[in-house]
Amino acid sequence: MTSGVVMSIEKNDRQLPGLETQIRNKVDRQYVALFNSVTGAIHAALHGQQIGFGSKAVFPRVSQREQKFLTWLGVGIEESTSIPRTYGMASIAWQDAGTTLDAAVAAVSHDKVQVLDFTELGFGPCAAIATNDEQIWKRAERLKIFGAFDLRTMWSQAESEPEIQPTIQFNYRLSPLVAACVRQAIQGNQ
Amino acid sequence: MMQTDFPALPLPWPTDDMAQQELAHLGGNPVIGHGFRKTLFPVITKEDVLQMQISILRNHSNSEAQFTEDYRNYVGAKYAIATASGTSALHLALVGAGVTPGDEVIVPCFTFIATAQAIVAAKGIPVFVDIDPVNYCIDVAAVEAAITPRTRAVMPVHVHGLPANMPALRQLCTKHGLLLVEDASHAHSAAIDGTICGALGDAAGQSLMADKNFPVGGEGGIAFFADEAKYKRARAFLEETGIDYSMSGIVAAFGISQLKRLPYYDAIRQRNAAYLTAELAKTGLFTGPEVPATYVHAYNMYRIALHPAAVGLDDLPIHAVKGAVQELLVAEGVPAREWQNKPIPGHLPFQNRQGFGQGYPFTLSQRDFSEYSLDRFPNALKMLASTLTLCRELRSPVETERIQSYALAFHKVAARPDAIRKLATENTYPLPYERDGRLG
Ligand SMILES: Cc1ncc(COP(=O)(O)O)c(C=O)c1O
Repeated sequence: MTSGVVMSIEKNDRQLPGLETQIRNKVDRQYVALFNSVTGAIHAALHGQQIGFGSKAVFPRVSQREQKFLTWLGVGIEESTSIPRTYGMASIAWQDAGTTLDAAVAAVSHDKVQVLDFTELGFGPCAAIATNDEQIWKRAERLKIFGAFDLRTMWSQAESEPEIQPTIQFNYRLSPLVAACVRQAIQGNQ
Repeated sequence: MMQTDFPALPLPWPTDDMAQQELAHLGGNPVIGHGFRKTLFPVITKEDVLQMQISILRNHSNSEAQFTEDYRNYVGAKYAIATASGTSALHLALVGAGVTPGDEVIVPCFTFIATAQAIVAAKGIPVFVDIDPVNYCIDVAAVEAAITPRTRAVMPVHVHGLPANMPALRQLCTKHGLLLVEDASHAHSAAIDGTICGALGDAAGQSLMADKNFPVGGEGGIAFFADEAKYKRARAFLEETGIDYSMSGIVAAFGISQLKRLPYYDAIRQRNAAYLTAELAKTGLFTGPEVPATYVHAYNMYRIALHPAAVGLDDLPIHAVKGAVQELLVAEGVPAREWQNKPIPGHLPFQNRQGFGQGYPFTLSQRDFSEYSLDRFPNALKMLASTLTLCRELRSPVETERIQSYALAFHKVAARPDAIRKLATENTYPLPYERDGRLG
């Protein structure tokens, strides 16, 4: 074991990028961002699409938990089956054929933004978002204090991309230790 | 192949004559050679691995509960909730204490940005005040001057591990009916009169991420509450919002085994800090932190003040002296750094004040946000221009030969005002806070 395994903001950490790559290959989307909870990932899926306080998200239906969380964010919910949903969400648990990563990926394969929840694997809260839209991914990373952006620059504030300025930020960073366990679990089931 | 951070060779034994040799910047040998500059932390032993296996075999919530109880006991706080990060712990501490949307929370302008972002997360309004020039923590008189009818809480940060002036802040909060919420993220085992930080306020948040004195498995935090009502309010908030801030069981397992090692880590830091402070006092140019009697400094970071007059350099701008000294120290293998170069109100999220979107919660406030301007914080600006910080350099298991080498490097640089002057006048060093704000 190395200190790189337990230090998420260390340049030599390989666990977080490793898990991102694994998910990216599986979901066939260009961009993946990791989060330390499913609510963090949901927040990022919204924030990435510039849906924040005072704006609306669209779903055919939402869970009670999402309802509560979106209400706290100040995001309204429009129930519609005719408009594509804001994001698709699926949980990975390995309990049966319906909860494998493959099943989860299939369930959200048509969504522009996918939220994948790995919490049920049992290593602790862990989730990811996947998308082909670079701007969504950038904004999602920017929601994390010391996300990919901040790490690259140690947060240089001279923004070349003013549209993704940091606004509110949370520590949604995933522990590399949890990432390492999830990696093993996913590998074992491919 | 398994990656390792373990050093290939130990640091060569330092000798006093190293301080008289030519500066590394001018072509001499560095005190600490390349390849010997890394410090390892935390110490990971079989207990950590076994505890983690136990955690995987057991129900996760057991590890989380055990960790929370072990550490709450250690700190001496009444109630605790383990979290995924320090930022989320601070958020819960504020909400539990009773901060509601639109409430003003008085906070030092000098801290990590997460302190202030946690206030925004609680939908409060950060009211930034200047720091005390000696302990670098929130200035008590400035707090009193900033109190308005909308003030709900005061949020001191025990900067670098030195407790803020809690007795005076407590008195002030009692007088004005305000909540006192600690950011104890740098202050593991730090204490005033035997009471450990985290147990001093009405509530507290603390980071347990891997760079802190007490690291759990990578990322984590803990919120403390002084009474049951506050604890229950925080729990109810999690229920009401559906937010998952919980700490992973694996991460908690690492915390259970590491907690047993914390007194050892603390003793090493205290020993290293005492040695370095005594050595710096002999250099003239440098001094270490001043720690009041009855206070315990945790030394998560160690901030060094420069005194150019002591070596005849007071005709130069102090930030240029600092810039030159930093270059010379880094060349000797001492990673002296700034750790923050700009007061937090100058950072982008507080300049654009977008918050959750459409300016919320800042829009709840009638305040004139032109107050988020740097010139209102002269003590912080002066500190940023005239000090340097060691971040990971005192921690266990920093060996005797390493802390001695650091001290030698400070002696070596302090003995060369000629070289400092040359660099300081030939190079241009912008004021730290005129550069882009950096997180760390
Ligand atoms: C003073 C201070 N407050 C809050 C935090 C936030 O903690 P975390 O990174 O665990 O969210 C940190 C460190 O990262 C810190 O240094």
